Amino acid sequence: MSLFDTRFYDFDVHLVSESPDSITRFALQAKRYGYSGIAIANSKIDELDMGNIPEDFSIYGAVEISSKPSRLRDEIKKYRGSKDILIVKGENEEINRAAVETAGLDILLQPVRFNHIIARMAGDNSIVIGFNTGSIIHMRGEARIRELRIMRTNLKYARKYDLKMILTGSPYSHYDLRSPREMAALASLFGMTEKEAAEAMSAVPLWILGRKSPEYIQEGIEIV
Amino acid sequence: MSSLPTLREKKRYIAFEVTSEKTITRSELSREIMDSICSLFGDTGGSEINAGLLSYDGRYGIIRCAKEKTMETRAALACITKIRGIRVSILVLGISGTIKGAMEKFIQKLLNKESRKREESRELTNMNSILAE
Repeated sequence: MSLFDTRFYDFDVHLVSESPDSITRFALQAKRYGYSGIAIANSKIDELDMGNIPEDFSIYGAVEISSKPSRLRDEIKKYRGSKDILIVKGENEEINRAAVETAGLDILLQPVRFNHIIARMAGDNSIVIGFNTGSIIHMRGEARIRELRIMRTNLKYARKYDLKMILTGSPYSHYDLRSPREMAALASLFGMTEKEAAEAMSAVPLWILGRKSPEYIQEGIEIV
Repeated sequence: MSSLPTLREKKRYIAFEVTSEKTITRSELSREIMDSICSLFGDTGGSEINAGLLSYDGRYGIIRCAKEKTMETRAALACITKIRGIRVSILVLGISGTIKGAMEKFIQKLLNKESRKREESRELTNMNSILAE
């Protein structure tokens, strides 16, 4: 069995609504590309028109928290009990630190200036480190070099501290979507192996979804 | 002059599909692929990849690359987002060792499937019109 015979998910979709059926078109394209589900971060999923979504394709809700480091803890606590997937963009060191200190966060996306202290804390609170391949496909030149550099460092720490990794393309429309194999090829640019990439798109998202289910109580305990 | 058989380099042929807002011409796509490879791997990397657009009909196409460089070519294809302001997305359908293989296995199969679907829907509308009468 090939590594790419499983279910794939992209957890950081920001849908820009160009036409009323953009969500349907996105879902159809994602399904054709080999995804089984997405999580939409910029709009409430109950407000979207789910009429024509393919049956075996699932759409989840996600919340991208962007606030001052001092308020981050309260924001995470506010959403912790909900079904939505919590994402924090690691824009600077203070945000990273505040984000990993609070249990309940799911994904710390593309953290800059990552270090061993933050990595260890992320491991303790079982926070997943996100890699954004969208920045590779949209940037050119110096900016892309910087992003690849950041991802290389993050990968090093994630391997050393055995952190879970997740790959996302952060697409804004169905033209930004890339198939799982392409994502693995992009991930290989910063040194990720194919196996790690496949895991980062299937096993880790499923693990996060499992954690969000009502049967889950805490790490290692769940109602059977 | 063709090279000696013992010195011939092994190649791979990648069948791909382009999704775009408007149709992209062959020369535009070819230039964009080269641009993408150049900016991602530089001139030396590009020479190792040995890429070339072989055929493209506005939707499906085949690109040649060196045998060991399929992953890099895939990454370069994935990095193409815009051509002349038109948003595009390239999906790799499959990789084969011969042009014929890539054509038959991936592109022809999809085209057959599409024509079958179209025929079925035509039959369905015919049936409906007959029933309506």
